[in-house]
Amino acid sequence: MKMFSKWGWMVIILVFVFLLNGCGFKDIDKRFFVVSIGVDLAKDGPKKYLVSLKFAVPSPSKDKTNEFAIVSEKADSMSEAVRIIKTKVDKEVDFSHAKVIVLSEQVVKEKGNAGIFYWFARRRDIQGIAWTAIAKPSALAVLKVKPKSENLPSNALILSLGKDGSETPYVISEFIFDMKYKLIEKGIDPILPIIEAEKDLFEINKVGLFNKSHMVMKLGPEETKILNYLRKREEKSAVKVKKGNTTIVIDTHKVKTKYKIYTPKGKAPYIKVKVSVEGTMEEATRRVPNEKLSDYEKAAEKSLNREIEKVLVKIQKANLDPIGFGLRYRSRHFNNDDWEEWKWIYPAITFKVHTKVQIADTGLIE
Amino acid sequence: MNRYYFYLVLLNMLINVIIFVPKILIDYRYEGAVMGILMAIPIGITLNYFYSKAITKFPEQGLPEILANSKHRWLKMIHFGSIQIIWFSAGLITLVGFIDILSRFVNPEMPKLSLLAIYLAAIFLIIQLPTERVMYFLEIVLFLNIPLIGFIIFKAFTNEYLSWDSMLEVGTHLFERPSLKSIAAATYCFSGYANLIIFNRVIKGKLKIWNFIVIFFIGVLNLFTTFFIPIGFHGSDGAQEYLYPWISTADSLRLTYSPIERVIFLFLMFYMSITLMSVSVHWHVAFELLKGTFKEKVSMKKNWLVLAFFGGCSIVGVIFLNSLILHKLTIYWMMFRLGFEIILVGSFFFWARRRAA
Repeated sequence: MKMFSKWGWMVIILVFVFLLNGCGFKDIDKRFFVVSIGVDLAKDGPKKYLVSLKFAVPSPSKDKTNEFAIVSEKADSMSEAVRIIKTKVDKEVDFSHAKVIVLSEQVVKEKGNAGIFYWFARRRDIQGIAWTAIAKPSALAVLKVKPKSENLPSNALILSLGKDGSETPYVISEFIFDMKYKLIEKGIDPILPIIEAEKDLFEINKVGLFNKSHMVMKLGPEETKILNYLRKREEKSAVKVKKGNTTIVIDTHKVKTKYKIYTPKGKAPYIKVKVSVEGTMEEATRRVPNEKLSDYEKAAEKSLNREIEKVLVKIQKANLDPIGFGLRYRSRHFNNDDWEEWKWIYPAITFKVHTKVQIADTGLIE
Repeated sequence: MNRYYFYLVLLNMLINVIIFVPKILIDYRYEGAVMGILMAIPIGITLNYFYSKAITKFPEQGLPEILANSKHRWLKMIHFGSIQIIWFSAGLITLVGFIDILSRFVNPEMPKLSLLAIYLAAIFLIIQLPTERVMYFLEIVLFLNIPLIGFIIFKAFTNEYLSWDSMLEVGTHLFERPSLKSIAAATYCFSGYANLIIFNRVIKGKLKIWNFIVIFFIGVLNLFTTFFIPIGFHGSDGAQEYLYPWISTADSLRLTYSPIERVIFLFLMFYMSITLMSVSVHWHVAFELLKGTFKEKVSMKKNWLVLAFFGGCSIVGVIFLNSLILHKLTIYWMMFRLGFEIILVGSFFFWARRRAA
C-alpha cells in the first residue's frame, strides 16, 4: 500500500511536469525556414552589409515545391540584420535548415569580416555543416537563381556543393566549421569555392584563396583541379595530354597524393610531392597504338609535373598555404617555435613534384 | 570479466563529455595536457585496482553494511558525509551542465526549470529503487546506446575533415610539464570504480586482473577520442574556442544518407539517457550512504526530506550557475575530487587490510 502511494505521487508529479511546457514550443506552421543566407556589401547608405535570407515557402500542391521568398536588410552586423528581418516576416525565423552560406566577392575581399564567420559559429542554431561559398556577382543574385531541375529551394546548390549530386574535380566545397578552423589554425589557409550565378544555373569551377582575414587570390578551373588533386578529395577527373599532334584525355579514377617536407642541414629545404594517377583513356584526336601508351604516360607525367609545380609556386608566391604544408611542418617538429621557423622557410622552399601516370585501360576501343 | 564493474567505469568515461573534461583538457593542450593524460592513465588504473581489491573483500556488501557495527559513529558520519558531498556534486554538475546543453540546442524556448523538473522526476524514481534495479537500468541504457555512440565515433574517425596533422601538432607538445588541472580532469574518466561503495552489493566474487586490462585499453581509447577528435575537427588553435567541444564536433559530422543528417541531434538523444543514468547512479550512491548514516530504518518523511534537498540544490544550481561559472567551478571540483579520491582509496585500502587480517 505504501509503495503504491509513492508511485502514485510520482505519476502525479510527472503529469504536472508535462503540463508545464505548454507555451514554449512553436508549431511548424508558425515557423519560416531559412534555407540559405547571403551576405553582400551594401551599395549605398551608411550601413555596411546587405544580408539576405532565402526562406522556403511551403506550398500545398505537389508540382510547385521550389517556391521561395528572399528578404534582405541593410545593417552593420549580422545579428542586427536578422533582428530587423524578423520584424518583416510574420513567422518565427528558423535557421535550423540553413544549409548554404554565400558571401559576395566584395565582402570576402575586404578585411575585418571575422565577425561574420564567428557569428555563424557562435549561433547555436546554424549548423556546422552548412556549405560556405563565395558568390559572384553578388550573394543576392546567387540566391535568386532558380534552376529548372530544382525540387526544393536551394537544393541545387546543396547538391552541387556536396558530393551527393554531381561529382566534379572543379568544386572544392567547404563547411562553415572547417572554414572557421582554417581561419584560426596556423599553417593552413581557407579556400572557398566561387559560385557564379547565370540565368537558371550556377557555374562552380573556381576557388578563392584566403589568408587569415580576406581573399587574396583566385584560381581558375584547371588550377582548382590541380589543387583538388593535392588535397586528395576528388578522384574522378580528366587530364589532357598533348604529344606532338595528338591530344588524348585520360579519365582518372584514382589519384593519390603524398608530400613530405625535407629540411636538410646546410641545404635548401624542399617539399617532395608524389602524385600517382590511374585512369582510362577517354578521348584521342588520333589513333593511339597500345604499344605507344607508355610514351603518352610519360608525356602526361611531364605535363602534370609542370602544371602542379606552377600552381604550387603561384600559391607560394602569394604566401598562402591552402594545402597545409605549414601545419604538416608544425606537427612533425617538437620545438615550440616551429611556426616562426616555418614562416622563414616557406617563401624560399622549392617543390619537387613526381607524378606517376598509369593508363590502365583504353576504353572499349583499342 | 565482471560486467557490472565494467558498466560503472564505462559510464564515467562516456559522461566526461558533459562534465567539461574535454574542455579542460583542450584548454591546456599546449601546457601539458598530453603528458597529463599519459600520467592520468596509471593513476586511474592504480586507484581502480586498489579500491576494487579492497572492497571486494566484502562480497555483496556496500559501505553502509560493512561499517554497520562500527563503534566510531562520528568517524563514520564524517566519512559518509564527505563522500556524499562529492558524489552529489558530481551528479549536480552533470545535471546542470546537461540542462544547459539541452536548453541551448534542443529547446531554447522552454524554461530551464521545467526541463529540470522532467529530469528530476525521472531521477527520483530511479534513485529510490534497490541497487540491483538501478544496475539493471544502467545495463539497458548502455546496451541501447553504446553501439550508436560507437558508430558516431567511428564516423568521426573516418571523416575526411578530421585533420590528423592538427592532432599530431598537439601531440608534439608532449614534453610540457603536466598541469594538475589536466591530470585531475583526465582521471575523472577512470573514477567510475568509486561507485562500488554502494554497487559492490551487486558484485559477486573477486575482480580478476582481466577487468583492469580491459579498463586500461578502453580508457586509453576514451581519453584519446575525448581529447583529440575535437582538435582534429576544430584545430589545435581553434578548438579551445568552443564551450562544448564535443557537441560542436557532433555538429560538424554529417550522415549523408541517414534520416537525420545532423549528427548533433542523434548525439544529444543518446546522451539524454546516459546523463540520466549517470546522475542517477551518483545520486543513488549519495542517497544510500545518507540512509546508512541513520541508525534506525529510514522513515518516509526523512526520505522525502532528502529528496527535497536534492531537488532544491539542483534548482538553485540551474538558476545561479551559467555555463561559464559552472566550467570554472568544475575545474576546481576536479582537483578536489582527485585529492579526495586518493585519500579515500588509501585509507580504505589499509583499513580493509587490517580488518581482513
